[in-house]
This record gives sequence, C-alpha cells and structure tokens, in this order.
Amino acid sequence: MVSFALHGVGVSSGIAIGRAQLVSHATLEVAHYTIPARQVGAEIERFTLAVKEVQRELEGLHSALTSGDAPGEFGAFLDVHWMILNDATLCETPKKIIAEQHCNAEWALTQQMSVLVEQFEQIEDAYLRERKADVVQVGERVLKRLMGRPGTLPVAKAEEQTILVAHDLSPADVIQFKHHHYGAFLTDLGGVTSHTAIVARSLNVPAVVATHNARQLIRDGELLIVDGGNHVVIVNPDRAVLAEYRLKQDEIDLARQKLKRLRTKPAETLDGVRIELYANIELPDDLAQAVDNGASGIGLFRSEFLFLNRDALPTEDEQFEAYRVVAAGMKGKPVTIRTFDLGADKQAESLEGLSRVAPNPALGLRAVRFCLAEPRLFLTQLRAILRASHYGNVQILIPMLASVSEIDQTLAMIARAKESLREQGVPFNSNVPVGGMIEIPAAVLAMGAFLKKLDFLSIGTNDLIQYTLAVDRADEAVSHLYDPLHPAIVRLLALAIGQAAKAKIPIAVCGEMAGEVLLTRLLLGMGLKHFSMHPAHLLGIKQRVLQSEFAAARPLVERIRRTDEPYKLLALIDRLNA
Amino acid sequence: MEIQEIEITHRLGLHARACARIVALAQHFRCNVALVCGRRRASASSIVSVMLLAVGMGGLVRVETDGPDESAAMAAMVRLLTQGLGAPTPA
Repeated sequence: MVSFALHGVGVSSGIAIGRAQLVSHATLEVAHYTIPARQVGAEIERFTLAVKEVQRELEGLHSALTSGDAPGEFGAFLDVHWMILNDATLCETPKKIIAEQHCNAEWALTQQMSVLVEQFEQIEDAYLRERKADVVQVGERVLKRLMGRPGTLPVAKAEEQTILVAHDLSPADVIQFKHHHYGAFLTDLGGVTSHTAIVARSLNVPAVVATHNARQLIRDGELLIVDGGNHVVIVNPDRAVLAEYRLKQDEIDLARQKLKRLRTKPAETLDGVRIELYANIELPDDLAQAVDNGASGIGLFRSEFLFLNRDALPTEDEQFEAYRVVAAGMKGKPVTIRTFDLGADKQAESLEGLSRVAPNPALGLRAVRFCLAEPRLFLTQLRAILRASHYGNVQILIPMLASVSEIDQTLAMIARAKESLREQGVPFNSNVPVGGMIEIPAAVLAMGAFLKKLDFLSIGTNDLIQYTLAVDRADEAVSHLYDPLHPAIVRLLALAIGQAAKAKIPIAVCGEMAGEVLLTRLLLGMGLKHFSMHPAHLLGIKQRVLQSEFAAARPLVERIRRTDEPYKLLALIDRLNA
Repeated sequence: MEIQEIEITHRLGLHARACARIVALAQHFRCNVALVCGRRRASASSIVSVMLLAVGMGGLVRVETDGPDESAAMAAMVRLLTQGLGAPTPA
C-alpha cells in the first residue's frame, strides 16, 4: 500500500482517522459487480420492481397534488417524469444490459443514463440540452430505490471511524448522513461555503472538499487521515505519521474538553457588555447540540430543511410540531424561525416540479419571493409558527427581503395568518416579533424602512458576500474571490450594525462570519451584540468574547472600515486580534 | 404513409412538456408516428427520443404517420404542433 497525500480545501477543521467508505449516490458512484448467470433473471426482476416502485411514487405524488390545489405546471412536470420512467430507453434497455453483461442493475441503469446524457450533451440549444436533468432525476429515483436495498452499499465496521468519500454531496444527502456518525467528509467537488461544508461544520466533523479526484484515487477500506485545518488528506499513512496525528487528535480533544467548562458561563466582554450567543439549527434534533454548547437562544432555525428528503410538503401540523418542540425546548429563550429559504442551492425534492428553468437561481424566485408567489404554502408555515409561539419565545425571520413592498406584503400575510387563527380560537402570541434578514446590499443601503417596519434584523453574511461581490459561493472556479474581508463587506456590515444600533433595533449576524474566532473582535468593535452560529462554534466564540473589550476596539475598527488596501486591512485585524 | 413538414414556432422549441404531449397524443392512435429532424429520427412513443430531437424555435419537423388511422393521427399531430404548444395549460 502506497502512502500519499491529497490536497483540497478544508472546510471544517479537526482531525479524523478512519477507513474510507466510497459512497454510491450519484450516477458516477455506482459500484460495478458481476452477477452469476443463474441470478440474471432475479437481477432483472429487481430492476423491474424498482421501476414499479418509482412509478407508484410518482403516481402518489400526482394524486397528492390533484387533491390539493397545486399549479397544473407541477403536475405536468410529474407527467414528464412518469413518461420518461416508462420510456423503453430507461426501463427496458437496462434489462438488456443486465442480460448481456451479467452486471448489477445499478450499473446497467447508470451506463444507460450516461449514454442518454451524452446524447443530450450534444444538443446545441442550451435550454433543450438542460432537459437531461429530467432524465437524470428520474434515473436517480430508480437508483435510490435500487440502492435502498441492503447489501448494495459497502458496510462499515462499527468499531472504526468511517470517512465518507464522495464525488459530491447535496444538502439533502448530508442531512441523511446526520444519523450515520461519519468521522469525516471528503468530496471531489465543493467550496468553502457550499451547503455540504456548512453541514459538515454543524456536525462538527472534519471535511476536505475540492480534492478533484479523491473518489478515484482512494479505495474502499483504506486508512485515511483527514486534517481539515491543514486542507490535507493522507492515504495509507505510515506508522510515524499515524502516531503524530493520534497525538494531535488528543490535543484537540483536550482543548475541547476545556472549552466545555465555559458552557454555563455568561458571555460577557472584559468591559462588562453582555453578548448573546445563539445557535443556528436545521432540524429539531439539533436542539440538543445547541443546549449542550450553552446557546442563549436559537438565532436561526433554517426551516427549509423540513422540506428536504421527502416526497410531500410538510403539513401545518407537522411543521407546528417541529417548531413547538424547539420553542418549548429552549424554555423561554428566543427561538428565531426563518421562513422557507428555498431556491438557489437548496431544492426540495418535493418541489422539483417547481424548479422551473431559472437562468440564474440565486437571483431568481427564492426565499421570500418564492413564498409570496406561493401564498398558500407561506400561510401554512406562518400559521404553524404562530401556533408554536404559544409554547415559547418565538420570533419570525423573513429571508431575502429587498424592498418595502416585500416587507408590506409579508406583514399583511402574517396579519392574515393571525386573523385566521383568531377566528378559530387557536392560541398564539399576538406580539410575536417579526424580523428581516439583511443579505442583499440593497437592504443595507436602504435600511430605513426595515428599521421602521420590523422588530429585529439579522445579517446573513454568506449571501450578503455573494450578492455584493457577485461570487457564487458554491462555484469552485471563483470561490477564491469570495472574501468576507473585502473592504465593501466590512463597510456594509459596519453600516448595517451602526444604523440598527442608532435606531435601537436589535441586529444579529447569523452567517458564517459569526462563528469565526478571528472576526469576533471586528464585529464587537462594530457594536454587534448578537451572534448566531453553528452550535459547534459557540464555546470557542464565547472564550473569545470573554477575552475581548467591547468599547476599546472601536477606534481600530473605525480605521479598518476606512481601509481600502486588503493587506493593510489584514494587518489591522491582526493588531485587533493581538 | 402520410408525411408533412411543420415549423416549430414556440419560443422554447419542443420543450419537455411539449414532448410529453406529443407522446400522449400518439398513444391515442394505432398507427406508428415518427418525427424526423435533420438526420435524427424519433418514434413518438418514446419521450426521450423526442426530447433528443432537440428541435428549437424555427426548427423543421417532418411528421410521418403510418398505419390504419394515419390520416386522423396526422391531423391531430399537426394541430398540436402548430397550435397546441403555446401556453402551459394543465393537461
């Protein structure tokens, strides 16, 4: 076994030592094995069954739709998928491949899919070419069915840590992995701020992405060291390297144990200013981690995760239950529920019919725009949140607001939801605070209306950076241009925090920047008192707050704000952190 | 066998839902329905093949119907391709 190192982008620090598990998810990653001649019939039967199951799945979706009042367009898309599924090229040809090559059904289907995709790739018209996505989506549904059977995935040894090696992971995949307790994630694609990275950080496991070809170079079961902090993966390490990393791992564990002692200590700066450290969560299950790490509230409950990995939309009662559990679990501490932020990089499978061809999804129908375009879906969620407000200290947070009319429409929807609950005599907190995300530069530059009409604000730095610098955070080719310390970002943040402070409206930062220790003093110096982050970062940031001054940083931060040269700006931040 | 050439005027060409409608319509007839665009040929019974014809706006499609009810099928197909691809009306 040759020892070698792979370099990528470490998106979640820490060290993991464990065995590689190559994941079969996308078409690229299906295992290939030969079937004994006498089992070919059974393999074809297995394929036929999977196709039938997906057929039922699609028909189920369709009838769920027609019983409601979903738009006809959605149904039309399901029809397209149903037809593709029943097309001989997809449901018959793989059977021939199984019979001829004696291969497993997954492999046969994947091969046929790549033949079709290749044909689509040759189409000149960009719009028609992209229809290959429909074929791939249908194919993957069948693949998932096929792979849902035991025995097709390599089984990890329970006593060793398992390191997941994949070509790429979607947010929906990673959510499923939450329950598997992987030691680390490793992917060929991805960027620092991709959702995979965010979820890896929230799970507190090391992750290295953008390794380009880890999936090809690493074999199942090989021993790996993933060093997220140093952006490196060591495959088949020799004994000396292994011993050194075990030592490093122990040191990190020890430091973590020390931090644990800060759990119940209030976060206060050296000059006595109380700072609120909130947790970002995705599902009610994350509550325990937030409480364990001493969160003084939930600053961001990403409710769209209730949508992922399911066939039908969550009902009002289901949503209510999810929100109620969190509201009650925080025992009176604030719980900020962000309304659905779907679109762009997060596509709910149950809504894939609605993912019309958006030439530029990040600038398209997403978040509050999508909710306002789907008033029924929005009203259902608002009612569920309001109902939960009776059981705790709930706040509503609206994503992606850019203009006054959107604020007004949203407030009108909330009023409507309240009215309908009142009529039915359902209890809720009629004074539930309503806040807005500040993630579009326009919102910072014209913040007056936000300050007048809303009860609190929360800066989503990831999107604010993406929209200000025109850099797609998930695009590896430009991700190096994604810079939280670009002078424009520093100024926008200072401007937003300063305006809110003047108007006495609470403002938080809930993006990645809030969980970055090297930026804590910068944000404190701007006057920020509310930070919301992945639970895994809470204690590290608390330690930092305890060692920082609130007021004294101000003059230096003011100089940073006026600096145009990136290297000078970095030097000043070093001074701030000294 | 009947043959007729039709220009596709829809802005998106033969988009996915249009292809679905073509396949659904062809199923109503007993005759074989085929579409030809340039050197590519597709049976109207396969949505994937029809999608792969990749007929954009202004593209010419040759419709061929062959079988007992070929005239009725041709008339219906021509109506769909010339008038039926417009608004995404629910099926």
